[in-house]
Amino acid sequence: MSALLSIEGLKMYYDTQKGSVKAVDGVSFQLKKGESLGLVGESGCGKTSVAMSIMRLLAENARIISGHIYFDGKDLLTLSEKEMNKVRWKGISMIFQAAMNSLNPVYRVGDQIIEAIITHEPEVTFEQARERVKALYELVGLDPGRMDHYPHEYSGGMKQRAIIAMSLACNPQLIIADEPTTALDVIVQDMILREMARIQKKLNMSMIYISHDIAVIAEVAEKIAIMYAGKIVEFSDSKTIFKQPRHPYTIGLMSSFPSIRGSKKPLVTIPGEPPNLLNPPKGCRFAPRCPFATNVCLEKEPPYKEIDKEHFIACWHPQGVKRGAEDKDA
Amino acid sequence: MSELQTVVKEPLWKIRIKLAWRGFLKNWNIFRQSKIGMLGLWIVIVFAILGFVVYPILAATVWRSSLAATVSYDPITGYDFQKINPSHPSLQHPLGTDPIGRDILSQLLYSTPREFMLGIFAALITVFIGTTVGTVAAYYGGILDTFFMRLADLILLFPMIAFLIVLSGMMKINMIMLALIIGILSGFGGITIVLRSQALTVKVKPFIESAKVSGARSFYIVFHHIVPNVMPLSFLYMMFSVTGAIFSEAVLSFLGLLNVKMSWGLMIHTSESGGYLLGAYIGRYWWLWVPAGLAITLLCGAFYFIGRGLDEVVNPRLRRR
Amino acid sequence: MGKYIGKRLFQIVILLVIYIAVVFFILHAMPGGMKALFISNPRLTPEAQQAILKAFGLDKPPLTQFLIYMRNSFTLNFGVSFSHYPTPVWEIIKERLPRTALLFITATIISFLIGFHSGKVLAWKRGKAVEYVSTIGGVVAYTIFTPVLAFLLIWFFGAYLRLFPLNQFLNPDLWANTSFSSQVIFLRLLLTASIIGAVILVALILSYRLSHNIRSRRLIFYIPTISSVVIAVFIWWKSPYGIYGADILWHMVLPVVEVTIISYAGIMLVMRDSMLETVKEDFITTARAKGLPDRVVRDKHAARTALLPVITNFIISLGFTLSGGIITETLFSWPGMGLAMYEAVISHDYPLAAGCLIFTGIFVLFAHLVVDIVYAFLDPRIRY
Repeated sequence: MSALLSIEGLKMYYDTQKGSVKAVDGVSFQLKKGESLGLVGESGCGKTSVAMSIMRLLAENARIISGHIYFDGKDLLTLSEKEMNKVRWKGISMIFQAAMNSLNPVYRVGDQIIEAIITHEPEVTFEQARERVKALYELVGLDPGRMDHYPHEYSGGMKQRAIIAMSLACNPQLIIADEPTTALDVIVQDMILREMARIQKKLNMSMIYISHDIAVIAEVAEKIAIMYAGKIVEFSDSKTIFKQPRHPYTIGLMSSFPSIRGSKKPLVTIPGEPPNLLNPPKGCRFAPRCPFATNVCLEKEPPYKEIDKEHFIACWHPQGVKRGAEDKDA
Repeated sequence: MSELQTVVKEPLWKIRIKLAWRGFLKNWNIFRQSKIGMLGLWIVIVFAILGFVVYPILAATVWRSSLAATVSYDPITGYDFQKINPSHPSLQHPLGTDPIGRDILSQLLYSTPREFMLGIFAALITVFIGTTVGTVAAYYGGILDTFFMRLADLILLFPMIAFLIVLSGMMKINMIMLALIIGILSGFGGITIVLRSQALTVKVKPFIESAKVSGARSFYIVFHHIVPNVMPLSFLYMMFSVTGAIFSEAVLSFLGLLNVKMSWGLMIHTSESGGYLLGAYIGRYWWLWVPAGLAITLLCGAFYFIGRGLDEVVNPRLRRR
Repeated sequence: MGKYIGKRLFQIVILLVIYIAVVFFILHAMPGGMKALFISNPRLTPEAQQAILKAFGLDKPPLTQFLIYMRNSFTLNFGVSFSHYPTPVWEIIKERLPRTALLFITATIISFLIGFHSGKVLAWKRGKAVEYVSTIGGVVAYTIFTPVLAFLLIWFFGAYLRLFPLNQFLNPDLWANTSFSSQVIFLRLLLTASIIGAVILVALILSYRLSHNIRSRRLIFYIPTISSVVIAVFIWWKSPYGIYGADILWHMVLPVVEVTIISYAGIMLVMRDSMLETVKEDFITTARAKGLPDRVVRDKHAARTALLPVITNFIISLGFTLSGGIITETLFSWPGMGLAMYEAVISHDYPLAAGCLIFTGIFVLFAHLVVDIVYAFLDPRIRY
């Protein structure tokens, strides 16, 4: 089966007064239909910029330097704004980072969902659209009677569910969920994520989860891509990433999150800070913080290559250790 | 404390001045980025030079009147017997003369320092009252707060010009009284609301808490900790107050209701009440209203521009990336 | 909603009481105030002075005076005008108020519509030359000295282009032989304008209630709007008063333009700033992600939300706009409340001046109430 979404060598820079910030610098990955991918990295590593490039919702000072984004066989970067508007929400919908503010405060929540439906399917009447919203509300676990309320009458969790309902409104093939649950408390977080995974399976959609929390992502996503400083450093299915992380950064990321099920071990933080993307290091971008770095790492950029089946990594010194061994070391 | 004093040799006031200077430089660099703010500043500087430097020099040299002359450049009692007044701009009178032969440029320059003084005096009163009331209301809260906020609501809606028109009809108001009235009225107005909300954000900062813990009296806290922190915003509102005061003065003296000898507004009033600005005459006698009108517009605008520029210093969210 | 309006109404009555109190104490209780003015004529004998004081109740203690004044204000009893003796002040205000109201409301609506749209478009086209030029134009219009603007308008449109009549309320030659007063015609004009306004409002509400389709909404809105205007014009055309109505409207153009420009600039600048803030909001990104056309994102989502601070700001600038209105009336000889007040002050007609001042306050407070209600309709967060 061919890929639904395929990104090739995407580079996106922000122009600032001090120079170009290389927010996305050569990102490539593929996503099949019905598959879910987790995009993980520290804040500021370019995850959201990748999502915004796919939706082509870039800030005024953002520039796509090179690369292709193929969705359903079309290169999104070559589409006109009008054609792109047809892809948005109908093909790819998005759940934004700040769900709290993603709803317009002056319109009824239901009407905002109906607006999306009617824009993309003009043949649908208002009453039909209302019926569909009702069904969507039931699907995400909201009381359909609430659709005529305004956003300020919703709680945080309810808004999040409404946003999910909205993202499903046009039966998109792909949903990008950018930190869908960060603003919520932990219990609601878990519930919402499970709900999303369930709906995704049920409707056989593709999904990209974006998060800084690898533990959360691993539970719902089949594949995981680890991003660091504008590049993907490791890519594999979530089981492999969890059991056998090869990139030093992934290993570090893994140890900086507590595991609920695993043995008790001290949390390890990665020393140092992510590089300044205005002027990133010449070699491997992780090298200054990497405990395994050698001269090669500082001089030359590591290639992004497949080291195992479906396991990509960009590192001069892949670590072969299993997670268990790592535990003992720590 | 004594240890600290031995370590830091410089006296406290010197350090304070250095800190203030550094803060000023930082803000100045932000302000400099704002084109509109710099434009305003330049206009103000030009007016200040014209009014405070150029006029006294001209009055003492070129325009010095002698009893025998047929021309007097005095802005109030001047005359020109050689010309039919009002006369066109000419070499002798660069901006022409008014209906009774007084030199327009001389009037314009003579009035400049007065407009400045009026605007700044009124604005100082406004800011003094606004800052005091705003911070006190924010710090003490309660009924004091409610009272001043409702008062501010009222004054915000107060038809100021209408009120001033009626008041000036009842009593002879001169420049200083006008500055006092405008200053006091607007001091209790919108500025208190803005400064109060700013003071409220300062009030909850940790250093206020630590000042309280170390036993400072509330009066001391208000004037040594809160007031300095709302000062930049006060300064910003001072600029807008200057605009308001100059504008009000111009309107009132334009309507001929003020007890002043000369001002920009009065210059237009003299020509208008003389019937020189009726209908088609407006174009013919343009020099009777353009210079004064332009001066009022420019000076009001300049202080407003400075305010907009300062806005970018005070509100970081407005700054460009 | 009803509760909200009731609450605002109550607050406004309280503000009104305080306002009258302030006016009273400043005008009457001050040394050299009303009392002194009434008896300042040196030719009056002490007996005559006492008689005058008694007639106006000025010999009573201040508190009693204040209460009497308050009662009189609420029963619209402002005494008798000196300069239009023996016309009661209220009669004069009753005649002048509609003219001020018409000038003010027309200019406000026009400036709001233009200011809202241009501010919206400017913010959306950030960084283009158009934005730069218009912003500077807006700032100039905002800071220009009101009489200077009036002179420019009178000179350019009145004297140079000869498009509009020079400062008058009507053309005296035309009205020389009429059997009716201009007030009759004027009130009919006002009635027509109110009916058209009501039709537009009802059409607007109906269009949103009845339909969810943009095209049919437009139809429901425009058909009654246009037809009511056409019918009104036709009726005036056929009636013998048509030419007189047109004359008043003709004389109204320049004052309306003046007040419009004064309040337009402020609205445009605030709308632009508010819009620039709003486009950074997340729900705008959501709207764009939904694949809505650019115009829909701009008009339906960004501008609609950006409108709210503009309205709040408009309340704050009400006093400013009204001041502009008063100056405009004196400049264009538009016989409204502002001109009445100015003339009263010039001719030392204190009862009329004080009455006008109080009514100006009532007018502002009433405008405040209307804007508050509009705001409550536009912002769902206020309603409950």
